[in-house]
Amino acid sequence: MVPLPMSHTTFRSRVRIALAAVLLLVVGFVGARPVGGVPALGGFLDPAGGVWALARSARLPERSSARIAGLTGPVEVRTDDRGVPHVFAATEEDAWRAQGYLVARDRLFQLELQRRATTGTLAEVFGERALEADRTARRRALAWMADRNAAKADAGTLIARAARAYADGVNAWIDAMPRSALPLEFRLLGQRPARWEPRHTYYLFAQMALTLAYEDEALSRLGVRALVGRAATDALFPLNSPIQEPIQPNGAGTPRYDFTALPPPGAPDTVAEIAWRERESIDLALGLQPDGPGLGDAIGSNNWVVAPGRTAAGYALLAGDPHLELSLPSIWYEIHLHVDNGPDVAGVTFAGSPGVIIGFNRNVAWSFTNTGADVRDYYAETVDDASRPTRYRVDGDWRPLDRRIEVFRGTGGETLRVDTLYSTHRGPMVREGSRWLSIRWTPFEAGRPGEDFLLLDRAGSVPEWLDGWKEFVAPAQNGVVADRTGRIAIRSTGKYPVRPGGGRGDEVQDGSTAASDWTGFLPLGSYPFAIDPAQGFLASANQQPVDPAVNRNYFGSNWYSPWRAMRINEILRADSRVTPESMRRFQTDPGSARADAFVPALLAAAERMAAAGRADVALRRAAALLAEWDRRYTRDNRRAVLFDRAMVELTRSVWDELIPPAERNTPMARAVAYPEEMVLLELLADSSSAWWDRVGTPEVERRDDIVAAALRTSLASAEKELGPPESDEWLWGRAHHANVFHLLRLPALSALELPVQGGPSTLSPSPGRGTHGASWRMVVELGPEVRAWGIYPGGQSGNPASPFYLDRLPGWLAGTLDPVLFPRSIEELPPARIRSALSLRGGP
Amino acid sequence: MTLRGLLGFVVLTLAFAAATSLGWWAVPATAALWGALLPSVRRPALVAALAAALAWAGWLLVDGISGSGAFGILATRLSILMHLPSVALVVLTLGFAAVLAWSAAVVAGAGGGRLRGN
Repeated sequence: MVPLPMSHTTFRSRVRIALAAVLLLVVGFVGARPVGGVPALGGFLDPAGGVWALARSARLPERSSARIAGLTGPVEVRTDDRGVPHVFAATEEDAWRAQGYLVARDRLFQLELQRRATTGTLAEVFGERALEADRTARRRALAWMADRNAAKADAGTLIARAARAYADGVNAWIDAMPRSALPLEFRLLGQRPARWEPRHTYYLFAQMALTLAYEDEALSRLGVRALVGRAATDALFPLNSPIQEPIQPNGAGTPRYDFTALPPPGAPDTVAEIAWRERESIDLALGLQPDGPGLGDAIGSNNWVVAPGRTAAGYALLAGDPHLELSLPSIWYEIHLHVDNGPDVAGVTFAGSPGVIIGFNRNVAWSFTNTGADVRDYYAETVDDASRPTRYRVDGDWRPLDRRIEVFRGTGGETLRVDTLYSTHRGPMVREGSRWLSIRWTPFEAGRPGEDFLLLDRAGSVPEWLDGWKEFVAPAQNGVVADRTGRIAIRSTGKYPVRPGGGRGDEVQDGSTAASDWTGFLPLGSYPFAIDPAQGFLASANQQPVDPAVNRNYFGSNWYSPWRAMRINEILRADSRVTPESMRRFQTDPGSARADAFVPALLAAAERMAAAGRADVALRRAAALLAEWDRRYTRDNRRAVLFDRAMVELTRSVWDELIPPAERNTPMARAVAYPEEMVLLELLADSSSAWWDRVGTPEVERRDDIVAAALRTSLASAEKELGPPESDEWLWGRAHHANVFHLLRLPALSALELPVQGGPSTLSPSPGRGTHGASWRMVVELGPEVRAWGIYPGGQSGNPASPFYLDRLPGWLAGTLDPVLFPRSIEELPPARIRSALSLRGGP
Repeated sequence: MTLRGLLGFVVLTLAFAAATSLGWWAVPATAALWGALLPSVRRPALVAALAAALAWAGWLLVDGISGSGAFGILATRLSILMHLPSVALVVLTLGFAAVLAWSAAVVAGAGGGRLRGN
């Protein structure tokens, strides 16, 4: 039988059907599966539960209810017009459960990313490209050590109870979360949130300890020693700050300059070079050299308290502004927890941490800055098998190594790699070349991380507050506190290791003998401390905490130049009627003790050059322009740019001996470490120091030659890049910016190139790349009723469509603070300021 | 279009809107049902495509109106993120629904026809 020819219509119909079938398959496939980095389009574009639905979940419902397993009584939450939840609960545990629920609601992706970064499970989200980061994180063993500590801890401890309650809350949100509320980042990555476990709270504190206690002064010292010898290194990286303006007042009333002539660069030290390379390699392997600030950058936190005798209202005042990497959403989450007959505390905390970390309650206010203590040492271990060790030797005895098998998985759950981690009694052990090195580091030894903050939340007075964190381990913090009775205090708290012979632990220690181990920790009574000082105020800004003439204990040597401390102390000494408003103003004060110290020295050098007939037109112009500067980093300032560039030039050219010889003539030339600028100021007093002579030039340069060259070069580069000095491109607000990146560094979700007031080493430093800054600013007045003001860059919500995603940014940029609501009851909350009411009840 | 046809279109649009609350996959499922069960409607696949797009547009419209600007903020951020104009993102969203519905309706219509012996 001969088939009938197909009609034209039938053919078209079949083609249409075939086309539709192919289209259905293709569209169905891209709807269901991510393709080439594009998320699965079906779930993504679906207007009911996809990305568009984020607009719906961006606004909190006016009234809602939810259930949290384990809740022992009803909890009421009112979210105010700043997006801050006020939690009213009958017990602390219920308050923490509610807190977990609220943080999960507002910051779920942040919780997930932080946890994955610490546990080294980023490859499960980002694939193989994150494998090395994961291996580094697991080698660092923060999660392992936290697990080990948690296993040893009593399940009834305060932090254990808090972490469990918090996890209940987080998981209640995850379990009942509507499709529309899944955060954008999960959608982009095609992921779902994992359940939160109590141990994840411990990981968070371990990660924070890493952020604040990673700095390796020993590495800088070894690198410099390798190039210029020990004597020069000791002078460039002195044990004690050459400008003494300590946290614990020394009674001087003004900064003390302990300047001496720096010894000349010495011969390279090959032993130090080997030790340096080794330590650098370990630090890199452990990711202990995060991408921190570069040359010209400077970060730093501030806090200060003023006693009633020096305030206009006669009440103690406290200000705090911890400086950290800025991010969207912010590292901080603001909350108020009111517990019937219990803590009534408000302030900020990390996503993942129960309670409040920096804040205030009905009687006390507090804030922290980082101390920068020396708390990490390395030990060369003797192992039984260099390739597969099972034991290590101490004092002739073989001890078993703890081992942990680490499996790294990819996005599909496939195994990417398996590593074995080792640990000695000192801490994790890693292989470096042919050696095995173990690490002892105080963050590994925090048995009940975070518990201290919960105790602070309960404190009713300054002494109670000081008692609350007397066991605090790491990262060492300078905590200031004030209470309603007018008492003020400060203490640099954390475990400070005591090494055999009082050594610094720069070099790798011999692990084969217990005699190398820390012999203990400094007693609480030797911590830098002051209470109710005669001067009527206390301040810290990451400077050396105590004058060595007063307390000779070794705490560390990584002290920032005390420019900010000098500035705030100068302001506080001059003002005996401080108000909350002036405290706010001080936080973004554009004045600079650094500029006050250096500008006269630079101008004096230029004048000497002119007097000697060696000043050309360019130098005269540069000096004249610099002299016009009022030494203030305001946004509309046109001369700060020149000073900033001159300082970078000066630093580069003075410390050229610290650039490895092989790199000196390359574009990437960079010193192995730069001494603090207070050392540069010390050097400026010595016109003929050998440090002024440039390496590789036939002439012998002296101080004024180098300063003059820095001024000329900085003017030339500024004019080349920014145009003439009167141009708007010279405005500080245009030349320098703050950059608040989204957690995934997605520009669309970030706030970039923001003009800010403040420069390097002002009280609100906004230097270099601008990625670090005041992560939270707070002022508290401890009167009959506690009043507080606060702000951070960003907003409470992690949802980019939320009105609370970026709402605080304009105020933060302007240096203003929001009044913080602190009601004793729901009824005290002004109804007009309530945006959302949430009732939480116990449930299955 | 007749009144009955218009009514049918409205019902189908509402059906798509309701089905979407179950998930995006409900769009081709609904379209397939429509294509298989109602072949007598003129151009059923095109009607399904239009109804699906309209249903999704309705979802977007409701969010746009009720969100006090959140939708606009979101659209702007997404457009920067995906290097597409906001309008293109909306068109992509509606187009996705339309193509899903059209193709499912055509395929189901053909399958339904075979089952009915057409």
